[in-house]
Amino acid sequence: MNLLSVDHLNVNFHFKKRELTALIDVSFNLKRGERIAIVGESGAGKSILGFSIVNLIGKPGYIHSGAIKLENKDITKMSLRQLQDIRGKRIAMIFQDPMMTLNPVITIGDQLVETIRSHTKINYKDAKNIAIEKLRNVQIASPERRFDQYPHELSGGMRQRVIIASVLLLNPDIIIADEPTTALDVTIQAEILQLLLAICRDNGVALILISHDLGVVSKVAERTLVMYAGQIVEEGPTLEIINDPQPPYTQGLLNALPQMALPGQRLNQIKGSMPSLAERPSGCAFHPRCPYATDKCRTQQPEFIYSGVSSVACFMVEDMLSEFSQDDEGQL
Amino acid sequence: MTHPLIQISGLEKTFSSETGWFGQWHLPGFKGRGKTDQIYALNGVNLTIYQGETLCVVGETGCGKSTLARSIMGLDEPSAGEIHYLDQRIDHLNNRQRMLFRRRMQMVFQNPYASLNPRMTVYQTLSEPIAFHNPQLSRLDVDEQVETLLESVGISANSSDRYPHEFSGGQRQRISLARALSVEPEFIVADEPLSALDVSVQAQVLNLMMDKQEEYNLSYLFITHDLAVVEHFANRVAVMYLGRICELANTSTLFSAPKHPYTQALLSAIPRLDSTAADPIRLIGEVPTPTEKPIGCVFQARCPYANPRCYSESPEMRLQSDGSSVACHAIEESRL
Ligand SMILES: Nc1ncnc2c1ncn2[C@@H]1O[C@H](COP(=O)(O)OP(=O)(O)OP(=O)(O)O)[C@@H](O)[C@H]1O
Ligand SMILES: Nc1ncnc2c1ncn2[C@@H]1O[C@H](COP(=O)(O)OP(=O)(O)O)[C@@H](O)[C@H]1O
Ligand code: SF4
Ligand code: SF4
Ligand SMILES: [Mg+2]
Ligand SMILES: [Mg+2]
Repeated sequence: MNLLSVDHLNVNFHFKKRELTALIDVSFNLKRGERIAIVGESGAGKSILGFSIVNLIGKPGYIHSGAIKLENKDITKMSLRQLQDIRGKRIAMIFQDPMMTLNPVITIGDQLVETIRSHTKINYKDAKNIAIEKLRNVQIASPERRFDQYPHELSGGMRQRVIIASVLLLNPDIIIADEPTTALDVTIQAEILQLLLAICRDNGVALILISHDLGVVSKVAERTLVMYAGQIVEEGPTLEIINDPQPPYTQGLLNALPQMALPGQRLNQIKGSMPSLAERPSGCAFHPRCPYATDKCRTQQPEFIYSGVSSVACFMVEDMLSEFSQDDEGQL
Repeated sequence: MTHPLIQISGLEKTFSSETGWFGQWHLPGFKGRGKTDQIYALNGVNLTIYQGETLCVVGETGCGKSTLARSIMGLDEPSAGEIHYLDQRIDHLNNRQRMLFRRRMQMVFQNPYASLNPRMTVYQTLSEPIAFHNPQLSRLDVDEQVETLLESVGISANSSDRYPHEFSGGQRQRISLARALSVEPEFIVADEPLSALDVSVQAQVLNLMMDKQEEYNLSYLFITHDLAVVEHFANRVAVMYLGRICELANTSTLFSAPKHPYTQALLSAIPRLDSTAADPIRLIGEVPTPTEKPIGCVFQARCPYANPRCYSESPEMRLQSDGSSVACHAIEESRL
């Protein structure tokens, strides 16, 4: 059974004059212990999707339709009380900026202790021992000393470790990590990703990793969803997507990486940029930037189809597949 | 890439906490009590930047990259050492003398939000430096130059009356670059110009920088955390650790044969697309804050090859057979 299933989720932003669509018919499943990635350029709607899953989308945004089921219970229909039970305890979030979660005027130790004592009745000393143990688990050196420090006294990498420790305290089933390493150095980035991977694997926690960097997700996520302008355009096993990207957008994202061009040569940039919510193009939203766009792309929305490698919403891939199958029939 | 443009020798920069931002944590009246903390941000940097080349500086946060960049630009005053621009010494210029270099050296910052004036339109941002440095130009000529410049960075000229917040991050960074280019400099320092941008926008900005380099024979000092960008863009790479350069090499040499233990760890940490790549070499701990003048090798605390000599004697940069330079006792002693 799926641990989480998102079913035709539509999220809108309601402005005075207009109703703007931020997520369109987003559907995907997550199994217990599975690790998936959501990738796409900034503005694609990745963070909105992350927030929607815990029903934290703020005004003027709201969930317009669709379901988000956590083991058959629909999160979109829950009361605030039920939601508060889920947030943190069953689904935890890690953000790019650890200071979104940490309180700057409380020592990290006291923040951890507070978290522990908010859901188990134990005394300060025992809670402190658990907190120190968790800090050690996330490979913070001399945790006894760090316990008494304030967030600003720690480096960015260490703060992100503290966040991971605090997330672990509540034994969640799912961790949603929104660009958790974008603000960190490469060396520390690799360490944090390895830590996240190890912790999810060892504790059977499912992970939704949000990133704009396919290089970052390739080591961690088994499955990847590629998003563009509020829609999923490709979904499949991460390695398949990296080795054989199907729709032009995924190809463009991979081709833009510096390692895809010869040293010193121009990089393969995708022309144009992600449209804002108000400027969403008709048909396939990628068409103004797509080198393969046809008239059909400008007016109609492609449906999701399975390409043999991944699931894709793109007319070009669809046409290629139907040509193939016609060829096959010809041979028969 | 033949003539040295900028030569840096023995550059040191010490911040004392009372004047630096560390001091802001102290309450009024607290100042002067106890000992003042020193931060040794640069500890003897020697570096030459050649005309027309792209020199990338890499290293973890806090290792002194920005301080090096700011010292070259005259935004930080070095504590010791010399910086020469062609044959002129530029490390202790007064404001008037520095004016003459303003047009030849430009800087692009990490955060395009912070570096563009939010109350100035794109037209004002670009026309001001052009008019200032070319007083002979008529208003119409200036307008024309602004237009050409904007188009050259891929921004349509009819958006020139818009304000920075009306542009995306990538567009803003291209406007910053346009402003740097507006005075036709010979040298541009770019301090992490890509880190706020995602991969596709990074590609736009990098392509633009490469085009302009070819057009004007520009030299770049390019600071970045992203080693894939370095591998693509740099002619040479300087690896920094705690205020020192520990390895300097041609890009292809550095990536195919990294020598310094720190460079090896740094390169192994690049996230690769293929999942079969070797696991990264784990460094223990993070870069310490340099509150004491380092004795011996700056990398000693995290180096798996450190021996007693590393704790007492600072390794010098030594030329290797493949043309790279490395500062490490283990390599000199053939232990590595
Ligand atoms: N004005 C200042 N006052 C006090 N210390 C400073 C000041 N500026 C920089 N430092 C310190 O000097 C050292 C080098 O800082 P610098 O900003 O050059 O690092 P960096 O390599 O650019 O790091 P990053 O990758 O995070 O940008 C750090 O320890 C930093 O805390
Ligand atoms: N509070 C908001 N009000 C209006 N538009 C918003 C708001 N939050 C996000 N958006 C818009 O929704 C789109 C997707 O945003 P986001 O999910 O943050 O993208 P990502 O995380 O993929 O970078 C963008 O066009 C963004 O400008
Ligand atoms: S549907 Fe058309 S416009 Fe959209 S990605 Fe495919 S080919 Fe390009
Ligand atoms: S000099 Fe010593 S401590 Fe420094 S890098 Fe070489 S072996 Fe390591
Ligand atoms: Mg986001
Ligand atoms: Mg810096």
